[in-house]
Amino acid sequence: MNKKTLNFSLNGLAESIEVTPRTRLLDALRNKLGLTGTKEGCGTGDCGSCTVLLDGKAVNSCMVAALQVEGCEVTTIEGVGKPGDLHPVQQAMVQEGGIQCGFCTPGMVMSLKSLFDEESNPNEEAVRVAISSNLCRCTGYTKIIEAARALGAGEVDAKTAINKDGALGSSMTRMDAEEKVTGRAIYAEDVQLPRMIHGVVLRSPYAHAKILSFDSSEAERLPGVKAIVSAADTDMDYFGYELHDYRVFAVDKVRFRGEPVAAVAATTIDIARHAASKIKVEYEELPAVFDPEAAMADDAPLLHDDCNAYALDWETERSGNLCYQMKVDDGDIEKGFAEADEIVEAEYETPEAHPGSIEPHSSTAMMDANGRITVWTTTQKPFAFRGFLAKALKRPISTFKIIPTQIGGGFGGKLFPCLEPYAALLAERADLPVQMTLTREEEMYGTLLRHPSKVKLKTGVKNDGTLVAHSVRMLFNTGAYGLYGPNTSALASLMATGPYRIPNVSITGLVAYTNNVPCGSVRCPGGPQMAFAVEAHIDKIARCIDMDPLALRLKNAWEDGDYTCSGQKLESVSIKECLQKAADAIDWDKPRQPGEGKGIAANWWVSGTWGTQSLIESNEDGTFRLITGTVDMGPGGLTSSVLQLAAEGLGVPVDSITLVQGDTDTMPWDHGTGGSRMTFTIGKSAYEAAEDIKRQLLEEAANDLEASVNDLELVKDRVQVCGDPASHVLLSKLCYQRHKKHGGPMVGVSSVLDDPVPTTKKHPIGGFPAPSFCAHAVELSVDESTGEIDLKRYVAVHDVGNAINPVGCEGQIEGGVAMGLGMALMEEIREEEGRVMNPGFADYLLLTAEDMPPTQSILVEQPAVEGPFGIKGVGEPPIAPPTGAVANALIDAIDVDVARLPLTPEEVSARIRIRQS
Amino acid sequence: MINDFNFVQPSSVAEALEALSTNDGVQALAGGTNVMVNMKRAPLQTECLIDLSKLDELKTICEDDDCIRLGAGVTISELLNWKPGGVVERLMQPMCHAFAGPLIRNLATVGGNVCDTSAAADLSPVLLALNASVELQSASQGSRMLDLRDFFQGVRKTALRKDELLTAITFARPDDDARCFYYKLGKRKADAISIVSIAMILKLDKDIVSASSIGLGAVAPVALRAVAAENTLKGAALNDDTISAAAEAAVSDSSPIDDFRAGGDYRRQMVEVLVKKGLNAIKDA
Repeated sequence: MNKKTLNFSLNGLAESIEVTPRTRLLDALRNKLGLTGTKEGCGTGDCGSCTVLLDGKAVNSCMVAALQVEGCEVTTIEGVGKPGDLHPVQQAMVQEGGIQCGFCTPGMVMSLKSLFDEESNPNEEAVRVAISSNLCRCTGYTKIIEAARALGAGEVDAKTAINKDGALGSSMTRMDAEEKVTGRAIYAEDVQLPRMIHGVVLRSPYAHAKILSFDSSEAERLPGVKAIVSAADTDMDYFGYELHDYRVFAVDKVRFRGEPVAAVAATTIDIARHAASKIKVEYEELPAVFDPEAAMADDAPLLHDDCNAYALDWETERSGNLCYQMKVDDGDIEKGFAEADEIVEAEYETPEAHPGSIEPHSSTAMMDANGRITVWTTTQKPFAFRGFLAKALKRPISTFKIIPTQIGGGFGGKLFPCLEPYAALLAERADLPVQMTLTREEEMYGTLLRHPSKVKLKTGVKNDGTLVAHSVRMLFNTGAYGLYGPNTSALASLMATGPYRIPNVSITGLVAYTNNVPCGSVRCPGGPQMAFAVEAHIDKIARCIDMDPLALRLKNAWEDGDYTCSGQKLESVSIKECLQKAADAIDWDKPRQPGEGKGIAANWWVSGTWGTQSLIESNEDGTFRLITGTVDMGPGGLTSSVLQLAAEGLGVPVDSITLVQGDTDTMPWDHGTGGSRMTFTIGKSAYEAAEDIKRQLLEEAANDLEASVNDLELVKDRVQVCGDPASHVLLSKLCYQRHKKHGGPMVGVSSVLDDPVPTTKKHPIGGFPAPSFCAHAVELSVDESTGEIDLKRYVAVHDVGNAINPVGCEGQIEGGVAMGLGMALMEEIREEEGRVMNPGFADYLLLTAEDMPPTQSILVEQPAVEGPFGIKGVGEPPIAPPTGAVANALIDAIDVDVARLPLTPEEVSARIRIRQS
Repeated sequence: MINDFNFVQPSSVAEALEALSTNDGVQALAGGTNVMVNMKRAPLQTECLIDLSKLDELKTICEDDDCIRLGAGVTISELLNWKPGGVVERLMQPMCHAFAGPLIRNLATVGGNVCDTSAAADLSPVLLALNASVELQSASQGSRMLDLRDFFQGVRKTALRKDELLTAITFARPDDDARCFYYKLGKRKADAISIVSIAMILKLDKDIVSASSIGLGAVAPVALRAVAAENTLKGAALNDDTISAAAEAAVSDSSPIDDFRAGGDYRRQMVEVLVKKGLNAIKDA
């Protein structure tokens, strides 16, 4: 290559490197100079995660050719501040909780720094504009805007920015805040190994086609190509979640555009791509089907010859393209409708949506001398991925070691391996470390999406507002593979009545294969789909019987002792409190101006469980290590609340416990991150492990102090006799002794696996442990001429049971609101004939800081009956109600019916035209 | 296979023109917000990349009482901070604010946005409404001026010859009493691609329209002037009937496609809506 010397100033120091005309500034920084704090989220200037300062101006380093900065001054996140010596912008971000997954954080810091270099106290609008190029999927921008406000107002204090008070209920600073805000955190694509080569996946260009022939001989001969793998030379088995219908390479035929057909590794990514283009695959196109209703017709093109041949963990009747169906009945639906004064019917549709993590999928694999394969990857489920790899590639589970890196946002998008098998196979074949990263374009069809839904509702209501009958037909389009389709339907069925008491219910769930991109488990699977349908329907019912929508909700809202449709008896139900607080905060009773409206929506959700094990080990100096096999995908539950609970269980300051991040060889097993389980499940486990080691410490001390264990207490750094602090022994001494005497640490252990929640009915999921409740309200205005919606303000009320770390709870809520508002207003994967038409952040739109309305989070703390400290999960629920709340505010503002999301200006205009006709 | 190419960093426009004339396949690079994105999608196939970002000659804004000349290398951020007053400022400010986001505004240039020839390019409707011309230079034939309308020739097609460089945009400063309107309709508030964008300048003699220019973006293969609408307005009293007629005429001026960003029908409706919105705002101003 045509190499040239580039001289420039980098973070205040002269730098001279060799680059080619193709080298982007981003590549030069990351690959040549090892400055991996600058991230690549898209490479097309649409996300801002690669922001650097070029001669003082914030720019996307992906859009600058390295040679263009000759003689210029470049500042990266590494030149802004470092742990222990943070820049004021970084202090503000840490102080206000503006950091979650941390992937967008360096870019965000650079944009804010550039703003504060110009103005010492910018107004809120200036802040929103300054960061409007920097997409954040986790925070909803609210705490970042608050950080800027606090900094401008002089309310940021270097000494107190980091809060190490780990008491339950204290907004302690997450342990990884400093490494993230300074760009030091290592994400999957930051992994660099000696002799590492690069891999790409060759994907199907057809939605449905027979593979007639495959010839990679020309590609194999290209200089730099090190390995090619495909179905022909890979021993594969089916794998999946509940439904095992997926293999890592298409065999004999392809079922969606983007399905992996082969993988190539070469010395550079460009050579790998070029080689992939030289693989000759002959296809014969087959008739395809894209609409799930059409797919269920008798004469529809069949995706899978025999769907009954696939293992499915749940009972169901399958045929044709119908890969799962379920039915839940309660009461007598016909009797219910007979009792009704009014029957309200409507159909609601939601589109395919993307998890939208700013960090793309990236995996690096390496084979060791024993043939074991290590995979560094961005995953929510390290242990499940090890299992997936073993099953998919028919190897013993011990073949694989998964090293989870920092996760730059998960949202369910990192629950299923989309690169790991290929990286592993290529690394094995090439006997070289292989790194693979999805381009943003591939992200949109090479990963699993949120199921599009069509929901038909028919509801009987009495004139006084009593809901008496509710018939639901849910149809989910799962795309070419079932994977998480059954689970989405099952979860959605639990949402099908909303949090309302309806005595007579009939729910049908259908999941159909089509030749679309397959769908998976995206944050709160089924939740936003059903919250849109059910909550918009409640408002439609309210209009039909001329009742206030809030009053209708309050009249039918669950109370303690009510049952869900699966027959779970509910306790600690707070839905009325949530609704009332949301209504009060949005001034529900105040009159609206013309063109303005308010909407309210409620929902309920699970607090996850599934198994985990936590260990707490003593160090010889009296400090501790918390070892769990779970990973934090951004929210910070692991790096704050779980530690707070461990500290509480032990009775020591939180900063005397180090969180150990390891791998599947060294960590205790864990189910994985998802299902709003971090604080509820891992927190409980950590607390119990802490209690276990505390018991051991007290026993050790009892020996030393010649006292009974029952007379001892652990206070901070010592064990003392109750009422006689002078009689004490330091933890450092106890632990040192123990290490010396027994040759090892004390180990506290807790394995958690909750009993299934009892239900009266047979249901694939059954009941939710510690169900959580929420209500959201929004105020907006609509321009009827264009259909544009302007969000004025937003209120989200969540019953979290017990806010272990309030700032973390709020961050989850605000981020969920942003994601839900995205679904409500602009997010939609547009497939035409199975081709994703908007594969990137330029056209798959996430809310920007300018779009996010001022948002108030209100925490309700009605303790759950089960679980530690009454905690209820808050990870997923906030994303569900915004779809319903926005729809209802629109209905309130301009008296239209809603039928589908997103409510783009065009969709709103269409609804206005329907109203007018 | 992936070819090698040269990177040339001329120190003057003359050098840049020389490089353009002596190389066969040449790609000009200024802000990089188009070129570098394309490079991410597929390896750039060119002989030579000419970096214009160091050419101060292209970064000046010259204005006198009558005429304004924007150097092709002026960034959108610089345009946003520019305070020319009058109609020019009232059109440029909202357009620049709606132009992508601040990071891209710091890189993207006036010349790059025009040469990209996207029908949805944010600058185009404003420049069309200002009756702008482009200044094109080449080593062999010197400088020529071309009406912007003639510069845009079709989808991603311009009148720029292989050896030419767009060096500036020029336009006459509208009269102080001219009135204007700008609107960009997109799917979100920042960093949006326009569904329809419109810029209009009207000259009123009492309530009679003596002159009008309406630029429309994203409603045809290239950004265009709503000529039929302008003809409807010329010499007419600016009342509800005229406004409706002009709005309908503007719809006939446009020929939007259906795509995943918006349907053609919606775009046509919005042309009508936004022309009405603009003319009403001007009438009531």
